[in-house]
Amino acid sequence: MPIIEVNHVTKEYRLGQLQSLKHTLQRIAARLRGQPLPERPLFKALDDVDFKVEAGEVLGIIGHNGAGKSTLLKMLAQISVPTRGSVKVHGKVAPLIEVGAGLIGDLTGRENIFLNGAILGIPKAEIRKKFDEIVAFAELEEFIDTPLKRYSSGMSVRLGFAIATSIDADILIVDEVLAVGDLAFQRKCFDRMEEMIKRQGKTVLLVSHNIRQVERLCSRVLLLDHGRIDFAGEPRTVCDRFYTKNDAIIADNSKSLSSIARNTYQTGEIELVSATILDSTGHPITRIPYKADITIVMRFKITNTLRTPTFGAGIHTTDFLYLTTHNSEQQVTLEFVDKGECEIHCHIRTLPLLPGPYSWRIGVTEGDAARTVFYAENVLHFQIVADSNHPVPITSRQGFFELDANWSFESEPNVKHTPAVAGRAVH
Amino acid sequence: MIQAAKNLITYRELLAVLAWKNIALRYKQAYVGIAWAVFKPITLMLIFTLVKSFVGIDSGAIPYPLLTFAALMPWIFFQEATADGVGSVVSNAHLIRKIYFPREIFPLTTVITKLVELGINFVILAGLMAWYGFMPTAEALWLPLIILYTILASLSISLIGAAMNVYSRDVANVLPILLSLMMYASPVIYPLALVKEKLLVNQAAGEWSGTLYTLYTLNPMAGIIDAFQQTLLHGQPPDFSAMLPGMVLVTILLPIGYMVFKRAEAYFADVV
Repeated sequence: MPIIEVNHVTKEYRLGQLQSLKHTLQRIAARLRGQPLPERPLFKALDDVDFKVEAGEVLGIIGHNGAGKSTLLKMLAQISVPTRGSVKVHGKVAPLIEVGAGLIGDLTGRENIFLNGAILGIPKAEIRKKFDEIVAFAELEEFIDTPLKRYSSGMSVRLGFAIATSIDADILIVDEVLAVGDLAFQRKCFDRMEEMIKRQGKTVLLVSHNIRQVERLCSRVLLLDHGRIDFAGEPRTVCDRFYTKNDAIIADNSKSLSSIARNTYQTGEIELVSATILDSTGHPITRIPYKADITIVMRFKITNTLRTPTFGAGIHTTDFLYLTTHNSEQQVTLEFVDKGECEIHCHIRTLPLLPGPYSWRIGVTEGDAARTVFYAENVLHFQIVADSNHPVPITSRQGFFELDANWSFESEPNVKHTPAVAGRAVH
Repeated sequence: MIQAAKNLITYRELLAVLAWKNIALRYKQAYVGIAWAVFKPITLMLIFTLVKSFVGIDSGAIPYPLLTFAALMPWIFFQEATADGVGSVVSNAHLIRKIYFPREIFPLTTVITKLVELGINFVILAGLMAWYGFMPTAEALWLPLIILYTILASLSISLIGAAMNVYSRDVANVLPILLSLMMYASPVIYPLALVKEKLLVNQAAGEWSGTLYTLYTLNPMAGIIDAFQQTLLHGQPPDFSAMLPGMVLVTILLPIGYMVFKRAEAYFADVV
């Protein structure tokens, strides 16, 4: 039996705001006289959303801002009710909708543990039992009797997370909470979540913009788009689709170079005129076959003579994880480049990226001190695609790169080898 | 209503912790601490005693300060529990948007918080009684029931008021004004016995006297305050004829208020 049933749920909000008392009275008067009422327009935050979650499943919910993710979680946590349809939850729900909701600055850490625990529905006896564990996890032994208002923001968030994750519930509802604290603590949070999910077999609903995290933790993912379920299924497929979609939106929003580029920096001495990817036959492409040879062509307009310039190009994911960078330092040695337009080529043999969306970042430095004169991220989007001519080996499916690796079984006590099969599958 | 009682048991720990939080927050970083709870009734008692020396109010066999303090205790409890209860849902909006538990927890917590302050006032009352040489009789055992009834009377207003306040903040603004007017329509400054004498014995309003008296006692606080004084100071059982109209009103209002509150509850998070 499914532990969560969401049956054709629609949630509508009225746009605009509640009006003044005078307005309300006028509306009541109009209603009493039987006159038609001017209705405020409706907004569908969720539109006929329908799915079930089995016990032990870890369901990720992704989608752009305003897709209805948080609204959906609010329905599941009973905070809000659907306009139409129904939500059935069989079991105790621990809503981690926001870590630290209800922490109070004037109370000490100790007092807050008991208060927040009660708010989250943890019995007092259990909080007592877990008290030391919570304090230890939050790394707050020294400060536990200090009022929360003297804590750093990281400390209170750590406390909130430690309390919230000590709930003994069947269903965890997690909304963007994993990214708390500094890096070391984030790691700890992540481990704890993973422990709760994988080891304790809890049912988890995870909403996050961190798609990698969702992909890693979840067994199934829902992609919401404007309140509708756009796609549901295996994490990798759904996440890829989300990336592709995101890319389409980004590309749609801005056809020109300058507007899609992010984090740009330029001194004005040099401008990027265009950047293109050419395939091995010299045709511009944005969908690159797996393991293809490509050439990036960058055209710059130089407005001030550059001394010993170095050009660099790197690849990053759509969430700005820098995968690799390469620069011209040892291959192109120029004493200076005069004003005018110039074209730089960077030829790459068998690009080893696995299928997915990526983007280029480009930079130019000048002189031996490598003074940056131009830098831009997200300059040029491209996608690596696999097809029957360029299949991805089944041996490297996850991550970004294919490793050139060979496996062998060295000691042989008692094994039998199957006849070698040329096992290659299309991803 | 049965569900309400069940919730009360399930969420008793939360109720207790939230009430403790309210009290802790109110008196933290204040040197006098929780003793501030007695400040208001004592000040009012002194003022009323001063006024009384000009206008002359017949307090019968009971010294006036004692009589008025015994009236101020239930009155201030009722007034503050109701006024704070009406604002309690809105002032906890941050929790309402994030976590679910039955929302009546908030008005209930307010009542419990005020109950603790009422308890502290009993210490002062005991002191006053000892000073004037009054010993409580067995009739004082009525008190828990009277206080319970005061809680129900307060909730019958605060539940519906809290729900309305989510949609229109006017409610929380208007209510304190209405409540302070209501004080004059309650036997706080003067004893109920005076009203009774004027209307029932002297028939001051002619044939309307009986109706007026019923109207007056429709205010639950009329009966409650009188019962406080009867059981604690006079050593008499409560005057049920003075409590009846108010009880009828509360019996009607409370279920309606609760139903309205539960109906509106589901939308609090969307609106607040």
